Amino acid sequence: MEETPRRKFLRDGWKLGGALLVGAAAYTGYEALRPLTAGSSGAKINVGSVSSFAPGTSTYVPAGRMYVVNADNYLFALSQKCPHLGCHVPFCDSSGRFECPCHGSIYDLAGEYITGPAPRGMDRYHVAIAGDTVVVDTAVEITGPPRGAKRFLTPPKGPGCIGKA
Amino acid sequence: MTDVDLERDGLEPGRTSVDHGITARVKRSAAYRSIFRHAQLDTPRGRALQSFSNFFLHLYPVKIPKRVLRNRYSYRLGFIAAVLFGILLATGVYLMFVYTPSVNSAYGDMQKLKTGVGFGQLIRNIHRWAAHLMVLVVLLHLLRVFYAGAYKRPREFNWVIGVTLLLITLGFSFTGYLLPWDQLSYWAVTVGTGLVHYIPLVGGKTQDLLIGGPQVGQNTLTRFYALHVAVLPALLVLMLAVHIWRVRKDGFAVQRTSVGAFAEEATERPAAAAAATPMAEAQPDLYGGRVRLLGVVDRESITEEERPVDDTVFTWPHLLVRHVVVALGTAAVVLGLAVAFSAPLRGLANPNVTPEPAKAPWYFAGLQELLSHFDPLIAGILIPAGAVLVLLLLPYIDRNPDTRASHRKVAVLLFSTLLAIAVVLTVVGVFFRGPGWQFIAPWTHSYIEF
Repeated sequence: MEETPRRKFLRDGWKLGGALLVGAAAYTGYEALRPLTAGSSGAKINVGSVSSFAPGTSTYVPAGRMYVVNADNYLFALSQKCPHLGCHVPFCDSSGRFECPCHGSIYDLAGEYITGPAPRGMDRYHVAIAGDTVVVDTAVEITGPPRGAKRFLTPPKGPGCIGKA
Repeated sequence: MTDVDLERDGLEPGRTSVDHGITARVKRSAAYRSIFRHAQLDTPRGRALQSFSNFFLHLYPVKIPKRVLRNRYSYRLGFIAAVLFGILLATGVYLMFVYTPSVNSAYGDMQKLKTGVGFGQLIRNIHRWAAHLMVLVVLLHLLRVFYAGAYKRPREFNWVIGVTLLLITLGFSFTGYLLPWDQLSYWAVTVGTGLVHYIPLVGGKTQDLLIGGPQVGQNTLTRFYALHVAVLPALLVLMLAVHIWRVRKDGFAVQRTSVGAFAEEATERPAAAAAATPMAEAQPDLYGGRVRLLGVVDRESITEEERPVDDTVFTWPHLLVRHVVVALGTAAVVLGLAVAFSAPLRGLANPNVTPEPAKAPWYFAGLQELLSHFDPLIAGILIPAGAVLVLLLLPYIDRNPDTRASHRKVAVLLFSTLLAIAVVLTVVGVFFRGPGWQFIAPWTHSYIEF
């Protein structure tokens, strides 16, 4: 028997109402879960004078969860997060490199990829020098250099901390 | 005196006098009978009435084929998983009374369980071990069903629900892993959620929704707690109910026929046998062992049992007694493990110090091992997502109706190979990896955390 227009209208109405309800529930869920802050701490951080970062050194800045390094007289602010899976990458004093204890990714002083499963070098923040002061803008994370980049690669100073350097 | 009269008077068959004891009087009272509507008569009809009139017993069919009583029929793995879930629910409620999902207090609550709450540490240990065992048992249940070919028609969709239940179980374990807020949980979850980032197009956004910020923190703890104690239990109970209901609807006890396919044998009756023994003649006696369920059912329904020879037994007490024994055994194993091995609690979560090694829970250790060899997109997303997809679609891909392993060599060989790879990766990840994810000999130093 041919379905009457009224029944078809009501049936389609129920389906539309159900779809709208699911959509509203999904969007509400998204809004409830959406982080209200950006992907980094978002502040401009004064990390000290230029002279306090000697060539070949790495300084950890807890406020920005980052390292400020001087590689061949270039200053870099490197995110502490391993671009592989987000572990905190410690700086290994004996090798002069960053070595991730989670899966063994290793980066040079400038955060360039050397070895391991990481897809790229360490992510960076924008560094500005105002007078003698170094200011790091953590609002925007700059994706790390690709695997092939080895501009600042130097031989390891000594034995590595995780045995791979 | 008929069975109905006996029941009305609260008498058992063979007894003629009325018991005037307190218990008997209580059982004859109107209030008692409003709760328990039928006397516990030890007759076929009495047992059937108990099943019909009891919500919990009604989960089971009234009668089952005798072969279901054999332990090797299913190894009771599905039931054991359900028992473990019950243990987890009970201990989880205790833990919720003590635990606050705050980064400032969660770790302290774990210590409080150990030092300030009577049996607190034991409850936590039981919860932990039951969680590990549930993952293991659900996995074994899946293997048993696969090798028995029990995912084939008419059980295709129940297999899909079963795989979904496995995923929910893993979700339970993973979300619960973060709650102690120690170094072990913090970094395992950091690594685990880091994988999400590699999902093409939506990875970054999805990771943001999951952890609620740039790194694992209070937002992550809040949403993992909500998932762990509200969303996932609701989902699991719902899916488990459908799973159990479909086990019955798809045939509680199926049998291999000559071609090896599962037969809906409860719905069918050989024509010759049917002609020789009409049902009314074959089972005329109420006490003869056959109880017919009258209700509005489809003609094809498996509840319309028409077997010429009754090879069934009552679920109560035959199967239920076995289930009680299995449940007690499961509880004993969990308790034994909980007494012998404490749930680990490392130092307070420190986002600035990654421990060496930072290992994922054992059921994700194979994935972590894979990640150290391949690009995260391949090892962390494509391979596991592909494996889950193949598992979900398995009954629809494998169209061979035969259930015997010897007649489905390709499927068994492929599955066994993938299983062996997964086991090797897991064993290497759990036992043979140390600081910096370097190979170590497990007999020299152990970095295993449960």
